[in-house]
Amino acid sequence: MREMVKMIVVITLLAAFSGGLLAVVRDATAPQIESQKLKFVQGPTIQSIFAEADNLDTVLNDRFKIVDGDTETNFFIGVYDGKPSAVAFEASAVGFGGPLGVMVAVNLDTDEMIGVGVTTSAETPGIGSRAKDEPELAAQFTGLPLLQPFSVSADGGDIDAISGATVTSKAVVAAVTSAGKIYENLKPQILEKVGAFAG
Amino acid sequence: MAKTLAQEFTKGLWKEIPPFRLVLGLCPVLGVTTTVENGVGMGLATTFVLVCANLLVSMLRNVIPPKVRIACFIVVIATFVTLVELVMQAYAYPLFLKLGLFIPLIVVNCIVLGRAEAFAYKNGITSSLADGLGIGIGFTMSLAALGAVREVLGTGCFTIPFGAKLTLLTADWYTPFTFMVQAPGAFIGLGLMLCLMNLVPSK
Amino acid sequence: MEHYIVLVISCIFVNNILLAQFLGNCPFLGTSKKIETAVGMAMAVIFVLVMAGGITWLVNTYILIPFKLEYLQTIAFILVIASLVQFVEMFLKKSIPGLYAGLGIFLPLITTNCAVFGVCIINIKEEYSFLEALVSSFSYAAGFGLALILFAGVRERIILARVPKPLQDTSIGLITAGILALAFMGFKGMV
Repeated sequence: MREMVKMIVVITLLAAFSGGLLAVVRDATAPQIESQKLKFVQGPTIQSIFAEADNLDTVLNDRFKIVDGDTETNFFIGVYDGKPSAVAFEASAVGFGGPLGVMVAVNLDTDEMIGVGVTTSAETPGIGSRAKDEPELAAQFTGLPLLQPFSVSADGGDIDAISGATVTSKAVVAAVTSAGKIYENLKPQILEKVGAFAG
Repeated sequence: MAKTLAQEFTKGLWKEIPPFRLVLGLCPVLGVTTTVENGVGMGLATTFVLVCANLLVSMLRNVIPPKVRIACFIVVIATFVTLVELVMQAYAYPLFLKLGLFIPLIVVNCIVLGRAEAFAYKNGITSSLADGLGIGIGFTMSLAALGAVREVLGTGCFTIPFGAKLTLLTADWYTPFTFMVQAPGAFIGLGLMLCLMNLVPSK
Repeated sequence: MEHYIVLVISCIFVNNILLAQFLGNCPFLGTSKKIETAVGMAMAVIFVLVMAGGITWLVNTYILIPFKLEYLQTIAFILVIASLVQFVEMFLKKSIPGLYAGLGIFLPLITTNCAVFGVCIINIKEEYSFLEALVSSFSYAAGFGLALILFAGVRERIILARVPKPLQDTSIGLITAGILALAFMGFKGMV
């Protein structure tokens, strides 16, 4: 009986100690982890699609968040000719090897896409991963209006898929289409936040 | 105490160097050694967990009841692994992305649990510390060595851990032996290194 | 349906847990000297992994995520697996002694088998649904069994061969595993 009590007490104390320690460390590192994720996961893509923006160096900090239901989306502001006229944000779709993220930059005045880039991709190396390494697929979206559904040419649309990587190409197209929906739903809030940024 | 502190430390570096002499903890050895840098990163993370877990287990060795000792070891180890995971995400994110799944897997690395059970639970704090540090450094050296062989042969380059990338074998005469950085190269590379170790007498 | 077939094939062959993902290699070398032990280990892993995959998925979805405790994932999963193994062991000992006699000695080894823990984490990382998690757990375990039994078959033959002394035992084992991994690389790009 005494032994039983001791066992329970020791395990409980140990678990409490470990839980407490980890909670403290997590709270201390959370902001740092978030900024590291931005820098290394989304950062390179954002900087390549906003290559001509005036605020290229600070674009990762020029951001705001919009919470819509359960999802929280980060928006990055692009400044062109001294005016914050574009935002970039991430949307995702299911590709071949798991979720595939696509960063879409859109011009707020014309609703046209400035650039599209694949962020996270777990596709088969050499086949689907070309969506990330070779920009031809993503480049086709530049200049097109965002507020419309897209599809690959095999399905009667006007985006040419990467040959041999149809599933991945469709996932990119689906992610851009869902980005269009996010943009449509949140545009009033986006304009408000960007207005606050400019002011 | 038959052995001195120095002996507890140095046995991990040669006589019982994992994973060659103690064939334990093979998964990270095979999985992350595509470059020297990954190997060293993984080795240091494991060393940290090993030292901390050894220290705590040996401090608590009179408190932990023998019947639930494995559960207690696991809680202690998992705590330190999560700690490493959080800190690495915050300060070395690119390394975290490369090592990925293998960081949480330190929990089930048999070396760590094995040292807690076989050594720290039975020995004092200082010798447990020396043992953890020795085994950890030995493990890091092994990972770095296998990483170096695979990286140099497989890509022709050598990355100084956390530093510059050097091209040792230039492309004009050396065709990178890509096989070495893929899965089979890990098994065969380790098998051949084990063979070399066996050629050297352990005494 | 097609989706599940692709998932099964990719987990068993293309991303074989032992030869492509490098998980669970300690029992791979430790329990592969005889086909009989390899079959026992393979069965035990399939049995535990399907249950562990399901339970850790439920724990993650209904306990860790709602309370924002994802950072405790490692601790929670390893404790779930360790206690699951204990329960399975006690249950089998009392209720199905025949099965216990076959699997019993392998069960304690499974707690520290990184294949089990690794697959549970992969299920969460890939954001599988509950059914997908069960299917992938089973297929990964089946892939583990397949590779283990194939390897044990090869090793039984190696015992009869004259291997140079420094290469004996683990060393030749690893080289054989490398050649087997080379064969499995042929499945790459299949799906």
